[in-house]
Amino acid sequence: MKKVLIYYDQKQHKNSIELLAVARMIYGDDSTGKEGIEDYETYGASFGSIGEEAEGLFDFLIEVGNDSAQHGKRAKVFNHEQGPKTLNHEYGKDHLPVYDALYMTSVLDELQQEYRFDCILFPATHMGRMLAPRLAMRLQTGLVADVTDIRHKDGVMEIVRPAFSGKLMAGILSRTAPLMMSVRQNVFFYEPDSLGETRRINHTPKTVCTGEIRLLEVREKEASKDIRDSDVLISGGGGVMKDFKKLSELASELNALVSASRKTVDNGIAPRSIQVGQSGKTVSPKLYMALGINGSIQHIEGLKNVEYMISVNTNKNAPICSISDIVVEGDAKEFITKLTEKIRKEKQI
Amino acid sequence: MKIICLIKFVPDVENFKYDYERNVLVRENVRMILNPDDACSVALALKVKEQQPGTVIEVVTMAPQSIIPQLEDLLRLNVDRAVLISDKVYVGSDTYVTGRILGRYLSEASFDCILAGTHTLDGDTSHVPSQVAELLGLSQMSNVVEIDEAVFCRERAVVLADEEFTYAKYEITLPAVISLRKDRKYKLPYIRYEDLSRDVKDRIRIIDNEELGFVQEEVGIVGSLTQISSTFVKSMEKKERLIVRNDEEGMNQVYSFLMERGFV
Ligand SMILES: Cc1cc2nc3c(=O)[nH]c(=O)nc-3n(C[C@H](O)[C@H](O)[C@H](O)COP(=O)(O)OP(=O)(O)OC[C@H]3O[C@@H](n4cnc5c(N)ncnc54)[C@H](O)[C@@H]3O)c2cc1C
Ligand SMILES: Nc1ncnc2c1ncn2[C@@H]1O[C@H](COP(=O)(O)O)[C@@H](O)[C@H]1O
Repeated sequence: MKKVLIYYDQKQHKNSIELLAVARMIYGDDSTGKEGIEDYETYGASFGSIGEEAEGLFDFLIEVGNDSAQHGKRAKVFNHEQGPKTLNHEYGKDHLPVYDALYMTSVLDELQQEYRFDCILFPATHMGRMLAPRLAMRLQTGLVADVTDIRHKDGVMEIVRPAFSGKLMAGILSRTAPLMMSVRQNVFFYEPDSLGETRRINHTPKTVCTGEIRLLEVREKEASKDIRDSDVLISGGGGVMKDFKKLSELASELNALVSASRKTVDNGIAPRSIQVGQSGKTVSPKLYMALGINGSIQHIEGLKNVEYMISVNTNKNAPICSISDIVVEGDAKEFITKLTEKIRKEKQI
Repeated sequence: MKIICLIKFVPDVENFKYDYERNVLVRENVRMILNPDDACSVALALKVKEQQPGTVIEVVTMAPQSIIPQLEDLLRLNVDRAVLISDKVYVGSDTYVTGRILGRYLSEASFDCILAGTHTLDGDTSHVPSQVAELLGLSQMSNVVEIDEAVFCRERAVVLADEEFTYAKYEITLPAVISLRKDRKYKLPYIRYEDLSRDVKDRIRIIDNEELGFVQEEVGIVGSLTQISSTFVKSMEKKERLIVRNDEEGMNQVYSFLMERGFV
């Protein structure tokens, strides 16, 4: 029986649960070309307790308890709407220093010594990306970053990740055990076959936190909606930079959010939080409208399972057009004005 | 205060070409640039040095000797020393091995703070700073976009990290490894005209494996724990597409497309 440990990032439930799909692709799924399915069990490990979200999905949930975690001053937390609060539920939950990677690595190492996992997976979140390399070094094992696919060929497993800034994909072999990876967010989707029983284990760490990192303050980013949650995205690029604000007119008619290519972000026109692509977010809307976006490999990398695509481009041979259902050959600003008007007019009828 | 900046020179990927016919990367004539995150860390260190004149800045890189001219340019910007870790046996090292090589040098070096980048344009794993910190037993923080220069001293640093949904401010006991992420605040200055051809060779130290003493099997491709087995280009699935224009007919077609699928 193989054992898989999944680091459960309390701030990103969905991205933690997704990793169950990766575990399945490694051991228990023949759709990836694997010959012979192996038995495996999944362990989610979180710092602090996990709510309902993961119930029935993992075989085991290891909740690292707070007994020996020492925590100094509490941090001030600011929230945009409500002003200062004393303690945010996301941070220092159960008084655990959930930002101290050195401490957390030691605790994960304790778990590895106790359970001897064959495979350890991290979501490639802020914390996951700090923990995975530390733990790999501690365990003297190889680590593959930002994994986007798993393939089996002739009995060998290849771990796929983007290379050369996404111009290429690389298949990587990991030669040591345990097998470790950080996994790109929002690339995998987990559908359980059925809900099982989740056994909860409480782990009291032996490691004592030395408090070298102290959280002083947390400021929530402006309450913008997450582009990853939207069914429709109106996305703008180099071709609509001057008129970027206009995108929101069309977006509000279509109940959509506005997203952007990196070009607009680099030019300070759009915030980084709405960037789609390899160095931005991976999104899976039902409808993606690409206005003045060329469709570089790095941009397309951020589009997964998009059902319908409409692109507007002065150049009908731009790469984005070849993956679109409808290509509007023309100026994007004009398109926005015309389509917005059309929708408004139809609504009145 | 002594600051070490871990830096890497990377191919200028924006201008990277891929030859789809021959399925190879065209690497000839690709310019090497200082990785943008690392340029921020050097710029920050230089700013600190301006405010705290006793500050010593050392840049450390593992790279082929061909990047010496780029290192010289950094030394012309008021960086005090450059350490180039370079040996043929290191070629092809993965992040685990790179971390160990840098770690071995750093374990003998003196410093109050190590600055690094969060990502590189080529590797983009963000493993190296965390792994170096692990080897040295130090704390580490990624995605730092600001260090409070007013209170930055040998004992501690106050940093602002851009985490996905929040900005968090931390106080970190030094020495520690702080990984910066590119931010407009920190920009490398230009080299002063009179320094353009200043001879700075004596401030570069080259370290090879004889000095670091790894067994050959531990480093390079053979020592790496991960290995690239194949590369491929993602093929895009081409669609049957409809091409229209910004005229009335085009708008009608777009509108019916949206309506049939329930978007309006
Ligand atoms: C390491 C790395 C990571 C990267 N990560 C990302 C990423 O995450 N996301 C991302 O998007 N990019 C990323 N890039 C950048 C990417 O390579 C491209 O440079 C970028 O996506 C280009 O943006 P664009 O298509 O909006 O702009 P452009 O390349 O400028 O294209 C503009 C398009 O608009 C069209 N156009 C011009 N005028 C009009 C008009 N009036 N009306 C309609 N159309 C018009 C043009 O024909 C063209 O197709 C990355 C690059 C690197 C090196
Ligand atoms: N060969 C190297 N020499 C020195 N520093 C490096 C090297 N490789 C990576 N780094 C540092 O680690 C950071 C992250 O790199 P990476 O792990 O490749 O994404 C870089 O921004 C550098 O600060």
